[in-house]
Amino acid sequence: MGKKILIIDDEALVRNYVRRALASRGWAVTEMADGASALDLLGREAFDVVICDLKMPDMRGEEVIKRIRQGWPAVKIIVITGSVSNITSPIVPGVEVDGFLIKPFGIDEIRALADKAIGA
Amino acid sequence: MLFPPRAGYFLYNWLTMTAKANILIVDDEAQIAEMILATLEANGYTAAVAYNGSQGLKRVSQERFDLAIMDIQMPEMDGITALGEMKKIDPELEVIIATGHGTMSTAIQSLRKGAFDYLHKPFELKELLKVVERALEKRKFNDIAKVIFSTIKPEDQLRVIIDAVTRILKADESLLVLPDRDGKPRVAVSGGLETEEALSSRLEMCARVMAQPAEAAKALQLVEAPGLEKRFSDIKNLEKIKFSLFLPLVEDNKPAGLICINRDEEEAYFTEDDMQRARIFGSLVNLALRNSSLYRQLQETQGQLIQAEKMSALGQLAGGLAHEINNPLSGILGLAQLVLENLEKGSQNYADIKEIEKAVFRCKKIIVSLLSFSRQEKATIEQVNINEVIEETLTLCARQMELKHIKITRQLAPALPMVSADFQQLMQVFLNLFTNARDAMPDGGELTVATSLLKTPGGAELLMTSITDTGAGIPPDIINKIFDPFFTTKPVGKGTGLGLSVCLGIIHKHNGAIKAHSAPGQGSTFTISLPV
Repeated sequence: MGKKILIIDDEALVRNYVRRALASRGWAVTEMADGASALDLLGREAFDVVICDLKMPDMRGEEVIKRIRQGWPAVKIIVITGSVSNITSPIVPGVEVDGFLIKPFGIDEIRALADKAIGA
Repeated sequence: MLFPPRAGYFLYNWLTMTAKANILIVDDEAQIAEMILATLEANGYTAAVAYNGSQGLKRVSQERFDLAIMDIQMPEMDGITALGEMKKIDPELEVIIATGHGTMSTAIQSLRKGAFDYLHKPFELKELLKVVERALEKRKFNDIAKVIFSTIKPEDQLRVIIDAVTRILKADESLLVLPDRDGKPRVAVSGGLETEEALSSRLEMCARVMAQPAEAAKALQLVEAPGLEKRFSDIKNLEKIKFSLFLPLVEDNKPAGLICINRDEEEAYFTEDDMQRARIFGSLVNLALRNSSLYRQLQETQGQLIQAEKMSALGQLAGGLAHEINNPLSGILGLAQLVLENLEKGSQNYADIKEIEKAVFRCKKIIVSLLSFSRQEKATIEQVNINEVIEETLTLCARQMELKHIKITRQLAPALPMVSADFQQLMQVFLNLFTNARDAMPDGGELTVATSLLKTPGGAELLMTSITDTGAGIPPDIINKIFDPFFTTKPVGKGTGLGLSVCLGIIHKHNGAIKAHSAPGQGSTFTISLPV
């Protein structure tokens, strides 16, 4: 069964390889460059996994993640970030996430996390 | 001829100048004023007369006087008021107050206002001259102290003081002996001693004086013909000295050094006045020593501040940069790996892209180290047993050490008090230090880890940890740089140059200190002190 994955990151390079790494698994991957459009899309379309960057210009990743968790509790969330400063504290206070990766990460790492989140 | 504008030169000039002091007499009784004037001039002083307080003030504001002799009972402005006003114009002016029917209370009042001394009228001229001489001497010492402490670098101050001692005490030779780091007496500065033999014999004499029991070593001592004294009789080259004055320096009630002043002339006895002068010089030396130790502390603190400043600037830069760099780096890594999936494993392209992948991992490692500076979150402070941190870190390294034939020796003190610290961060410090030690001993060796409790003289307790290797050691020319960010001696790609600066940052955050001691070929020791 083809799973649907949404990747939210303002960095096109990262979206690009994450999409291709996961698409090779036979999953449908959609790219979004900002939090607002992503939330908008989530309102119209169902996704199994959201991969979300923490630091984006328009809306903080934390806020995006919080709203996804509230609006679509069943969606699995994987957080990706370029900063390790919050490695010891909860990634997003009060929100459970399903995976966490620090950039730079490789394609095997994101595949493994996505597999785990989907339960494959 | 031009002289360099050095304070030492000015002082030298001042000490040897022949011009006599300039004295102002302020008295409304013309007869008395004239008599004092004549006496002073007959004794080689320059003097002037003012007939009341305000006239005296005017003179002081127009001309430089070393000393004023002033009556208290005067029309217009009394002596006490004039004294206060004069001190405002020239704070260094010495004033002797003369009181006719003065009570004790006016005398005390005048001393409080800064008078040097007071005389009861009628006074004998001989008595006046004595007080004048003493006042001028005080002024002279004030000037010396001012010159010494205002302009000269601390390291030059002792030299200037000893030169002044030699001159003012009409000594033929003088020396200042201070204990070195190991407590062994050494000559800090000397005057009038040319040859090595002369110097070492004087030093030996001083060393014996300093070696006396504390109470005796703290007292001023006069010795006639020291070469004939039993306790010095085996020292050669002392025959020349006819009189020796030993002046101990006392700091915190403990002997801190010795000034030795020698005269070679027959009958050139040291007088009570000489001893008084010597004591004043002793306190000048004490001041100079304290100054120079403060100066050193200041420089050290400045160095630490600069280092801390560097680290914090780097931390901020790193924090901002890391995020920016991690994004493209992640792209490079991911895309390279995607390409790798489509390449044949044995091909040149595969090998090339594999190199790109490796390079990304290297960059990642550097950035992670960099970020250790910029972590803004608070450390998790808990009560930590330092031995436990060490044991846990050693467990991590044990296998690597074994592979490199490095023997681990533990000298961990039992029952150490706990320290407030971040366990993980301390582990990182030890891990960095153990890794460095390992890399310093590529052909095997011994790693010694020791802990102990140190009580400072101030009563505080410090937990000391030392990590010693038997490696190649650190060359003296780089030992000051090893804590600098990005400083590394490891080959390109092997070290980030951040390990020790991360250690320094973490230890500073714990209010501790980390120091390195090493000599080429003798291994290195890193010492960490943490407050309990």
